[in-house]
Amino acid sequence: MPHFMCLLYDDQKTFDRMSPEEMQKAMEKYMAWRKEPFTVDGKRLENDLGKVIRPGAAHGAPTATDGPFSESKEILGGYYTIEAADYGDAAKITLTHPHLEYGGTIELRKIAGS
Amino acid sequence: MSQTDSGAAADQPGVLIEHLFRRHAGKMVSHLTRLLGPAHLSIAEEAVQDSMLRAISSWPYDGIPRNPEGWLFRVAHNSAIDALRHRRMAGSKSAELTAELRRAASHPVLEQTFRDDELSLIFMCCHPAIPPDSRIALSLKTACGFSVREVARALLAAEDAIAQRIVRAKKQIRDQRLSIEMPSGHDLEERIDSVLAVIYSMFNEGYSAHEGEDLIRLELCREALRLGLLIASSEWGRPKVHALVALMALQTARIRARVDEAGDLVLLDDQDPTQWDHQLIALGFHHFDRAIGGADVSRYHIESAIAVHHAQPATDWRAILELYDQLLELDPGSAVVRLNRAVAVARVDGATAALAAIEPLSRDRSLAGYHLREAVRAHFLMETGEKEEAASAFRAALACRCSMPERRFLERKLQQCLSG
Repeated sequence: MPHFMCLLYDDQKTFDRMSPEEMQKAMEKYMAWRKEPFTVDGKRLENDLGKVIRPGAAHGAPTATDGPFSESKEILGGYYTIEAADYGDAAKITLTHPHLEYGGTIELRKIAGS
Repeated sequence: MSQTDSGAAADQPGVLIEHLFRRHAGKMVSHLTRLLGPAHLSIAEEAVQDSMLRAISSWPYDGIPRNPEGWLFRVAHNSAIDALRHRRMAGSKSAELTAELRRAASHPVLEQTFRDDELSLIFMCCHPAIPPDSRIALSLKTACGFSVREVARALLAAEDAIAQRIVRAKKQIRDQRLSIEMPSGHDLEERIDSVLAVIYSMFNEGYSAHEGEDLIRLELCREALRLGLLIASSEWGRPKVHALVALMALQTARIRARVDEAGDLVLLDDQDPTQWDHQLIALGFHHFDRAIGGADVSRYHIESAIAVHHAQPATDWRAILELYDQLLELDPGSAVVRLNRAVAVARVDGATAALAAIEPLSRDRSLAGYHLREAVRAHFLMETGEKEEAASAFRAALACRCSMPERRFLERKLQQCLSG
């Protein structure tokens, strides 16, 4: 079956004002999704802002500067690989992810050759 | 993060103990507050919040660690160390505290130590220097792991007001340099009374849901019971502590039976004892036995004795009336006690006598807007056959704030008055 990648962008502010009980509830939803048989793998990205590598301006050398990569308030928190028949099916699965309930967005891409 | 507990990964069942985060938050805030000193209560709270934020951004990918509490414990310590570094507190105090935190983080903490820390924090939250209306809010926020919003919901207050009460309490803690050490001698007995009063009103807030059908209020009862048990099992477990625990356990045991499957109110006579939580009933009886060991008779003793009667298959209303008489002697000013006593009067001497007993309460300001004053009166009037007056009393009750099950009940009763 084809594999798809779900890239999870976090809205960092969402959980800030949550109570421990609410955070645990959210955690349980995330864990339940992860346990579903369609999930093949998941990896977290370090919670720092990373580096941005850009080509240099005319004739200049490429540069590496501190992140974030984009101006948006969302940062890429991690990804999951899921198994699905096609994009329609993969989207249906991704729409059930609790991340959406907590203000995050998910980018869904098909892994080539899978 | 050490290898031992972050390497758990995806094969973990992914199940957390119920309320783990909230319980753990209370424990950790208590523990860090003892290490850092009460003036840094906010640093402790932020460090604990931070540890949970980190958990939520990593566990969904890495899996729940083998020892979630240990993980949170270490991350919270590290976060507190970072916070100290950023704040660069005056003098070398910061270095000392950091060393202390490092030491604490590398040693497993015994459950007993956590319990002692939690007790110390609650005792501090109930310090006489803290305004009485701030004590419950502060206890719930720090020792019970509630958020400001949850405290507000549980106490039926505005979020801003609760936030302010907590800020005021923390200011008192700093300004008056309150200690987290347990008081001794006369101060200790006084403080125990203050702690019990806070737990008692915490429980009552949860037990008498004034409006809505909010589960957080049941949590308030459970939390009050948990704190009571914590003290009862410590060296500060006096007979009055056991009496309060007995009262709360017996009342909580019957909560489920007060509402039927449709969410409607079930009156005492119609309650099904098989719906009671028999473990809690047993717990209540156990603590009641321990309460009657001393010479001292507190209001908790009398109220738990009443609760014991209500937890029997056949209710002895005459005995209950006598207990209310005793309670009234201890607390002659309480209109609520008089109102409850009248219910027992009705059972023993009839509704006419009960109406006479509540007559003086009709002008009592402390009961203004209290739906039960009108509802109880309406009930007595129905029994004496004065249907029109009963109907207007039910209408008066419905004009007050009350919970949805109560509202539906009162509306049904009003219809009965009008149709009969």
